[in-house]
Amino acid sequence: MLIQKNMKLAEVIHHDHTLVPIINRFGIHLGFGNDNIAEICRKHKINIDFFVTILNAFHDAHYFPQKQLRNFPAALLIDYLQKAHHYFLDDKIPEIAGLINKMATEYALDKTTIGLLSNFFTGYSKELKKHIQYEEETIYPYVLALEKAQAERNPDKNPFVRVNNFSISDYETQHENVEEKLFDLKNIIIKYLPEPKDDKPGYRLLRELFTLDKELNEHARIEDLILVPKVKAMEKALKNKKE
Amino acid sequence: MKHVIIIVKYYLLQAGTEELIQEVPGLMHLKSYTGEEPRLTDIVLKHKPDVLIIHPDSLSAENASLPHKIYAHQNTNLIAIVRKNEKDRVSSDFSTVLFMEENKSVLEKKLREIMTSAGPNENNHKELSKREIVILKNIALGLTHQEIADKLFISIHTVNTHRKNINKKLGIKTVPGLIVYALLNHLIQMDEIKDKD
Ligand SMILES: [Fe+2]
Ligand SMILES: [Fe+2]
Repeated sequence: MLIQKNMKLAEVIHHDHTLVPIINRFGIHLGFGNDNIAEICRKHKINIDFFVTILNAFHDAHYFPQKQLRNFPAALLIDYLQKAHHYFLDDKIPEIAGLINKMATEYALDKTTIGLLSNFFTGYSKELKKHIQYEEETIYPYVLALEKAQAERNPDKNPFVRVNNFSISDYETQHENVEEKLFDLKNIIIKYLPEPKDDKPGYRLLRELFTLDKELNEHARIEDLILVPKVKAMEKALKNKKE
Repeated sequence: MKHVIIIVKYYLLQAGTEELIQEVPGLMHLKSYTGEEPRLTDIVLKHKPDVLIIHPDSLSAENASLPHKIYAHQNTNLIAIVRKNEKDRVSSDFSTVLFMEENKSVLEKKLREIMTSAGPNENNHKELSKREIVILKNIALGLTHQEIADKLFISIHTVNTHRKNINKKLGIKTVPGLIVYALLNHLIQMDEIKDKD
């Protein structure tokens, strides 16, 4: 289903409830009423094109936004991505770490095994944190500087000199996935854990890991399919302006 | 399980191909593209599909070299979808050709053949060999591939091959994951592990 601005947001959520954390990131919370997307966006002062693009990118793995790309500032996108990072690091990771530890108190598995899982997950979290730090400390400032330079009349005065020795395509090719460890963890739980005394905690944990994996993939898709092409267009426009 | 990516511009053809994949046990549909996406080659390379089904005419000019690049870089099974009268235009990068005129059972049979012809490793997903267990223990203890090669008087190339097979058999790729596996199976003890960081 292609999500459009004249649809009722409630109906969209009925269709795909996994979009709830996404709309939360825009400051829209449950109990949002009966309005359509455009009306809700106006109320919350959200860029409608941007909102609809993000919803579609999450909802449909085949969705490929092209025309709408230029309709919103890069700063908006970066703000959104940072909120998503915040959600991963401050909500999801502690939540899953908590689930692992809870297994110890529920005596689902012995302490040593839980210690192993928990250490492994800590290692994974560190890797994810590093990935996110690189994006926030290196990539985003670059993109924001580009956008600023683009707004200026005299481009030569601006920090976009870096356009010549750094380009977003460096990021594109290096943007590795952080899902390998997550995949291993899922396999360890599915295949190699000793038999638990209670099945439920393991399932709960596994379900969260699958959700995290899915959400991270969708996040990476937004970076690859929306951020990268948008920044490329900006780089190109600036190069032309300079010449 | 083999992951499949489809590159077909026309919706009906794409949907039919997806449907066909569902019918073949062991094939799993990962993604579909239209062939017009910018830098599609890089995107596909990232996914490392086992099977790539392409309708060559769908590829945009920018992506025209995609099949050849995938063929050169990865161990991917390339399949072309064409009409019968286009048979001679299919490049040698493709190992199998599906014809649009063929009926479902013939197409299915061709895909099943790919499943069975692909590497014996796939089906031998069982126990690790004695040698692999030795290698696994050493990896879990924190030795590098070079150190293991020196210790066991084998080439680093052999160690790499063992490691690949271990990863495949266990479904675990990272060193920390292998450590957990080795500990859970009492191949090593906690106090033996070298503190690396
Ligand atoms: Fe990110
Ligand atoms: Fe990322």
